[in-house]
Amino acid sequence: MDSVNVFIIEDTPAESDRLIKVLEANNYTITGVARNFKEALTKFYQVKVDVVIIDIFLNGVADGISFAEAISIVPEATKPFVFLTSSTDRQIFQRAKLTQPFSYLMKPFNELEVLYAIEMAVEKFYAQTDVFLDDEEDTIISDEYLFIKKGKSLKKVSISDIIYIEVEEKYCNIITEKEKFVILISLTKILTLLDNSIFYRTHRNFIVNIEKIIEIIPADNLILLEGNHKATLSEKYKGFIKNVRTLK
Amino acid sequence: MYYKPLFIFFILLNNFIFSQKKDNSIYFKVLEYSLQFESEPDLKKASLFFSEKEWDSTLVYTQKQLKKNTSNINAKDLSHYIRGVSLSKRKIFIEAKNQLMLISTDFEFSNIKEFYLAYINMRLSKYNEAISHLLPLSRLSNEEFRYFKKNKILNNLALCYSLLNQFDKAEFYFKKHNQNTKDTLQLINNFINRANLYYNNSKNKDLAIKYFKKAYILSKIINYKPSNTNYSKIDFFKRKRKAAKNMAAVEENSKNYKKALTYRKEFEKYHDSLNDQNKIYAVAQKEKEFAVKQKQNEVDILQVQNELQVTQRNIFLYAAISLLVLLSISFYFYREKVKRNKIIALQKEDLDILNETKDKLFSIVSHDLRSSVNALKTSNIVLLDNLASKNINALENLLKKNSAIVNGAYGLLDNLLHWALSQTKQGYFEITDTRLFFMVEQMAYNYKPLMLEKNIQFENNVLKKDIVLADQESLKLIIRNLLDNAIKFSNKDGIIKVSSRNEQEGYCDLIVEDTGMGMSNDTRIMLLEDTLLLSKKEHETIIGTGLGLQLCKTMIKKNNGRFSIESELGIGTKMIVSLPKKQENG
Repeated sequence: MDSVNVFIIEDTPAESDRLIKVLEANNYTITGVARNFKEALTKFYQVKVDVVIIDIFLNGVADGISFAEAISIVPEATKPFVFLTSSTDRQIFQRAKLTQPFSYLMKPFNELEVLYAIEMAVEKFYAQTDVFLDDEEDTIISDEYLFIKKGKSLKKVSISDIIYIEVEEKYCNIITEKEKFVILISLTKILTLLDNSIFYRTHRNFIVNIEKIIEIIPADNLILLEGNHKATLSEKYKGFIKNVRTLK
Repeated sequence: MYYKPLFIFFILLNNFIFSQKKDNSIYFKVLEYSLQFESEPDLKKASLFFSEKEWDSTLVYTQKQLKKNTSNINAKDLSHYIRGVSLSKRKIFIEAKNQLMLISTDFEFSNIKEFYLAYINMRLSKYNEAISHLLPLSRLSNEEFRYFKKNKILNNLALCYSLLNQFDKAEFYFKKHNQNTKDTLQLINNFINRANLYYNNSKNKDLAIKYFKKAYILSKIINYKPSNTNYSKIDFFKRKRKAAKNMAAVEENSKNYKKALTYRKEFEKYHDSLNDQNKIYAVAQKEKEFAVKQKQNEVDILQVQNELQVTQRNIFLYAAISLLVLLSISFYFYREKVKRNKIIALQKEDLDILNETKDKLFSIVSHDLRSSVNALKTSNIVLLDNLASKNINALENLLKKNSAIVNGAYGLLDNLLHWALSQTKQGYFEITDTRLFFMVEQMAYNYKPLMLEKNIQFENNVLKKDIVLADQESLKLIIRNLLDNAIKFSNKDGIIKVSSRNEQEGYCDLIVEDTGMGMSNDTRIMLLEDTLLLSKKEHETIIGTGLGLQLCKTMIKKNNGRFSIESELGIGTKMIVSLPKKQENG
């Protein structure tokens, strides 16, 4: 599991320092801090970013909103973002709200508020609301990563690292090359949200990354995967084999 | 000889006038008779016009009636009759004759029809035909002549015969007429006609002269009396003049010029007086016209006066109405003004009260802040002293104390800011799905050190699933103030529980419960009242303005929520906020 990368745009060093301290204490990685609009635009495309925290007022101008508008133009490049503001001015809020999805963090903030704001931003951005609300679920699936709530903080796992997923009632065991862990998510949700050209169901309880398959042994109903992992193949789901790229 | 046609014409005309004057009853008879034709409105109209002697209108309506070609023979006959008579009155004799000929034999007024036919034929100089119509009439008994007199028939017959030069017959009927008539003027006519007859026939010139003389003598006797309605004065003079003229002609023919001259002079005299009469008559006519004109003028003047009066009255009326309207409008505006003034007075009172509370608020807030800052100031001096004496243990406690003071002051300032924002409605406010549990957690987080200091046990029992419809920032403000109060009024080692309750339909209750000192019922009610409460505090040692709770109430209201308090002195207080719940699946 990797930590989530946060990019901060904040003109006041004291504020950004506080933010960095809070976030690092909760295992977030700060990949960059920008002090103004221009710097933010340059750095944003250089560093790895999962979430952006944007102060609305940069040096007295509402450049933060302009930045959010700028990154929202390219749908592939845009990331979840949180507005940081000390003003409840109606007009500023009206303008900021136009950059959907809209989440904000009001200064002064405490640790819980920061973490909550980031979670909300991720939920809203990937349109999977109420995931972190209770104890039923804890994972949001984006194109690249699974965002998993661990304690107070958020973790991520690259989807391409997943070898297979074993489903046990409402838990899912995620097996990657390096580790193995449990997430809370319903089977139907994981099936609809994962890329179905890569992940195939081979058994009632198994979802396999097709790119990690080494060998399929239909006679034993067995699939051999990278890292000596094995998955079960059932009759019902054998149809997936024709989608596997085979050597000629 | 040349007098002859003149005489005849004169007599015929006389006849005509006579019948018109005397026998108006025939027209009413016709009108009465027409009433039986209920289904023939045109005929009835025609009869009405006929009775009023409006010949042209009568012709129009009879035309209409005849076009309809009704099967009722009586109606048809009547139409032909009145059309014929009207035509003859208009002197269109041939057409009139045709109309009258179309009438069937058993027509109600066939006698009159016959009479008219005879008259028309005479006018057309068809004397034989006239005689054929007159003869049957002359044989009728006197009782049957209802609308005209028998001697007229006789006279006409005699005239016809005389014009046809049938001397005997003419003489016979003249005689008959003579016997029948008692009217002197008619008698004169009769004598003149007869004399003419004899004279022209040159059979018995002496007799002719005798008749002329008779006529002349009679004409001498007669005198016009105003009581005589049948004839005008002019009729008398005409008779006298004719008689004289005839005598003059007779004397002239018998070469007796002296006498002839006398008669001629007499004739001239009558002629002049007739002319005078005519002139007098004309003058009288003019006078009459003038009088009528004057009357008309008077009537016109009266009419104009009337109109003037009406206009004046109208002007008065309009003036009165407009005055009334003006009055009511001004009254209305006056009332409006009074109303407005009342409202303004009320508003002024409200404003005064508000201003007073604001002033009070300012003084208390500044007092609170002043004491806070003062405490910090003194604390800082102590801090510096301790730092100088390197008394590190004391430093931590002092700093904790300081941060508590600052926290309190911050809370106060934050409330003040939000209160100002809520008053001016400038703040951002958006009701969205808000997770109650996290809001409580986040707010409680700020009070962790304070609660730790007082050793207060805190429990957040709100269900994670509870989502309310509220504005996030104002909800945070509400929770913060409620927690602040709960901590403030809790004793050491107290317990603060925050929980949720879903008992009311559509609402979620957030309950902040403490085990603090509680409050009396009066205080409870006072707190729930909708006024800024700044009275003397019950707990004087505890800083507070009442602003926090007031702000809570305002925000709860803005979030469409409800607020209530349950409390018992010495046991604890429950602050209950009911907020609209997010509806499941929609």
